[in-house]
Amino acid sequence: MMLVLRVLTRQPMHGYAIAQHIHQLSAEELRVEEGSLYPALQKLLVKGWVKAAWRQSESGRQVREYRITSSGRRQLEAEMTEYRRTARAVGLLLDEA
Amino acid sequence: MALIGEWIRRLGYLLRRRAHEDDLRREMEAHRALLEDSRAFGNTLRLRDEARDAWGWTWLDDFAQDTRFALRTLRRSPGFTLTAVVTLALGIGVNIGMFSLVNGLLLRPLYERPDEVVGVYSRSTSPPGEFRGVSYQNYVDLREGTTDIFATLAASSTVFAGLDVGEGAKRTLASGVTANYFQVFGLPLALGRPFTAEEEWLGADIRVAIISYPLWEQRGADPGMLGRLVRINGEQFAVVGVAREGFTGTGIPGPEVWLPLGAHDSFRTTGVSAGRPFGGRDEHELTVVGRLRAGTSSETVAAALATVGRRLEQAFPAVNAGYTLEMSAPWRLMFIPGPGSGAVTASIALLLMIMPAIVLLVACLNLVDLLLAREQVRRQEMAIRSSLGGGRGRLIRQLLTEGLLLALAGGAVGLFLSRWATTALLASVRPVLPVAVSLPDLGLDWRVLAGTVGFSLAATLVFGAWPAWAATGRAVVTDLKRHVGEDGHRPRGVRIGNALVIGQVALSLLLLSSGGLFLMSAISAATADPGFRLDGGLLVEVDPSLAGYDEARGRQSQLALVDRLRTVPGVEAVTIGSGFPFTSFGDSRSVAPAGAADAQSRSVGAVFSVIGRDYARVLGLPMLGGRDFSDAELASGSLERVAIVDDALAEGLWPGEGALGRLIQFTDEEGPGVGQPIRVVGIVPAVKHSLGNPRPFPHVYVPLGQHYESAMTLQLRVVDQEAERAMLATVARVIRSVDERVPVLRVETWRDHLDAGLDVWLYRAGARVFSAFGGIALLLAVIGVYGVKSYVVSRRTREFGIRIATGAHPRALLWQVLREGGRITAVGIGIGLLLALGAGQLLQGFLYGVDRVEPVVLVTAPLVLLASSLLASYLPARRATKVDPTVALRSE
Repeated sequence: MMLVLRVLTRQPMHGYAIAQHIHQLSAEELRVEEGSLYPALQKLLVKGWVKAAWRQSESGRQVREYRITSSGRRQLEAEMTEYRRTARAVGLLLDEA
Repeated sequence: MALIGEWIRRLGYLLRRRAHEDDLRREMEAHRALLEDSRAFGNTLRLRDEARDAWGWTWLDDFAQDTRFALRTLRRSPGFTLTAVVTLALGIGVNIGMFSLVNGLLLRPLYERPDEVVGVYSRSTSPPGEFRGVSYQNYVDLREGTTDIFATLAASSTVFAGLDVGEGAKRTLASGVTANYFQVFGLPLALGRPFTAEEEWLGADIRVAIISYPLWEQRGADPGMLGRLVRINGEQFAVVGVAREGFTGTGIPGPEVWLPLGAHDSFRTTGVSAGRPFGGRDEHELTVVGRLRAGTSSETVAAALATVGRRLEQAFPAVNAGYTLEMSAPWRLMFIPGPGSGAVTASIALLLMIMPAIVLLVACLNLVDLLLAREQVRRQEMAIRSSLGGGRGRLIRQLLTEGLLLALAGGAVGLFLSRWATTALLASVRPVLPVAVSLPDLGLDWRVLAGTVGFSLAATLVFGAWPAWAATGRAVVTDLKRHVGEDGHRPRGVRIGNALVIGQVALSLLLLSSGGLFLMSAISAATADPGFRLDGGLLVEVDPSLAGYDEARGRQSQLALVDRLRTVPGVEAVTIGSGFPFTSFGDSRSVAPAGAADAQSRSVGAVFSVIGRDYARVLGLPMLGGRDFSDAELASGSLERVAIVDDALAEGLWPGEGALGRLIQFTDEEGPGVGQPIRVVGIVPAVKHSLGNPRPFPHVYVPLGQHYESAMTLQLRVVDQEAERAMLATVARVIRSVDERVPVLRVETWRDHLDAGLDVWLYRAGARVFSAFGGIALLLAVIGVYGVKSYVVSRRTREFGIRIATGAHPRALLWQVLREGGRITAVGIGIGLLLALGAGQLLQGFLYGVDRVEPVVLVTAPLVLLASSLLASYLPARRATKVDPTVALRSE
């Protein structure tokens, strides 16, 4: 979910594009069923962190585009901070050991 | 905030569900189409389900599906459905009925925003605790001193009054109120206008009235009622308004007419200051009730009231010293004195609800029976569904949904039953009430509806949880392979069924025997020996003040009636007295030896009666000592104060010494002649005054000449005791011929009077309600026995077939089934008897003339139960004997 939000901060995009982006960003490390993106997106919709709307794409197809909301950004911010703190703590622990 | 937003989005999804799901399907398909290897997308259907779960509405889908399925299942077995619904309707119906009663009498607010409405009481500080009313002048000072606290502060004084009903008058409750009285309750009148300030002014004597809704209905519910006249205590009052339906003022029961306080002198005939102009600062007659300004804390109110109280004490020490003002919730039930407390109300409500709850429990046990039997039939269905992936939780939910549908249907039918039952109950109360009053509305409101749903839900949990658990927790594979009803050993369902029947029988016996105790009470109350001879006794209640007569004229009228009745052929003797045993109103006095230093502590409470000549003789009481009152004493203005006491009072005052010739005094007397000692000139045997108290209550009788009471009872003894009822019409006619204006409130035989009294009614009502509950429980228990026995017989068809084939006599089989039925009933009765004994202990305070261990009841009730249960097992037992061996062996 955090990844999806992170990807959407660059620009609004549709499901397929989100999947591609995550794919590239993670340097092809993370490989999951691409469809499992959709339950995650629905959860984000329930929370109000993203909004969705149908739009004509450049290639002329109808695509459903997701856009991060301001509360989504705040959530991402909070989760990133939390993540960094945890990561630093774990890092410290590992260094000391 | 975030949570609210989330819920709004969820609701939005629910409302536009199809569109949302369509969006999801389309975008997922589009995504899949872009992939080279579409398998990389995953299982579309499962993912779509998961995505849908995110919105949290899955349970609703499941519930809708369960409901549809349950409806189908229930429709397929109408016999089961009907039995279950009827059983539940009875069980839930009695609960709703009792709950509507509790709701109407105790719970439902009588007016708008009840928390703001408080009563103000004057309370003694030394000795602390005693409450008194508030005088009009004190009330006015209080009203003016607290305008920043009370939005409205009103006062009322409720008295008995005679309401003209064409032929004579009937006694009713009338309430003198301030102009702002109706404003306090925040409820507009049904018709007309409230009283005006001019009408409230003391001495204004503007004769206007507001009548209650039921009274308006009795007078034809005419919209043109305004401006018509009603006669109250012989005076004409013009109707200016009709109160709202169900309006009773602060408490229950409420008055039938409201009159302005300014006309108080025209309708008040009783009370501490009858005959004097109303409004003195020392006449603490008013009940004060007010609506607080919104947001006023109780501390502020208490402080302000204390201030006003102190000021009143300083300004008028003669009447106000030692009294403070206090606030409390207005008294809700007039017959349960003391400022209404939530805890008291709650405990009364709880007590009343116990009985119907037991009936519902019995009904639920029946349902468990039915469901367990049904479960056997549905084992295959459950096994199949479970093997197809139906989780246990899901299956249980399915079964509970079925149960809930049954319970709700039962609740709906029960609601109808209960409407009918409460109407019948109320209708039976009105005729025995000694005065006409307004009773609150017992109609439907959201509380009763919520109660119905609540009872249904509770019932579902009680009867549904366990069978559902049991039905789904089986080794399914073996069930799938097995055929229905094929069990090597005795099925578990039967053992459980037996336990349930035992429970039902025990609970039914509990209710039946409690009903029996009340029935016995009613009978012994109706046949109780009142302490005097009933045969040939008639009583006539008159009240000249209701015709507007003052003391002199009233006295004259009473004596004229006695003299005229003496001359009626067939009448042996006539006397007159205030009050009569077993009437609901009685005056009382604290009696103490005259001149005793410790008079207060030695005083004995006694019923106080004013009597005329021959009182003891007419009642058939022998003089135990001394003499009857002399003619001089009976006429007004006699020299020495004298009294006749009964032996109960004599014994209370001077144990073992005798009271004849001694002097007594009334320690709680007010008015002229206070403290003048009273000589005891005669002793009579004690009579009972009410049934609630089985011991004779002390009585003190004073002669007619020394005290005036307008409400009097004429007692007659007729020569021909067989024809006592035939004399009633004659007597009524004679009285009317003497003075047409004097209302005759009651003409009846002593026996009927005792029989129809409120006391006897209470026991009868108790008997009726308990017997009805017991009867319903019995019916349910019998259905339970029948169900279990039928089930047992059908399960054992093969066994019976074999036994008949091998030569068993059908009668032996019949006996076997009956014996088994009898055995479980006997166990149930054993447990039930213990419960019944316990209940008898608890009910003892409510019973009359009945031991808590009443052999008649404890033998009859079990016999009734045993007989019904044997009958219920007889029918299935006969079926067992009719088994055709060849059919039975092939049947499975």
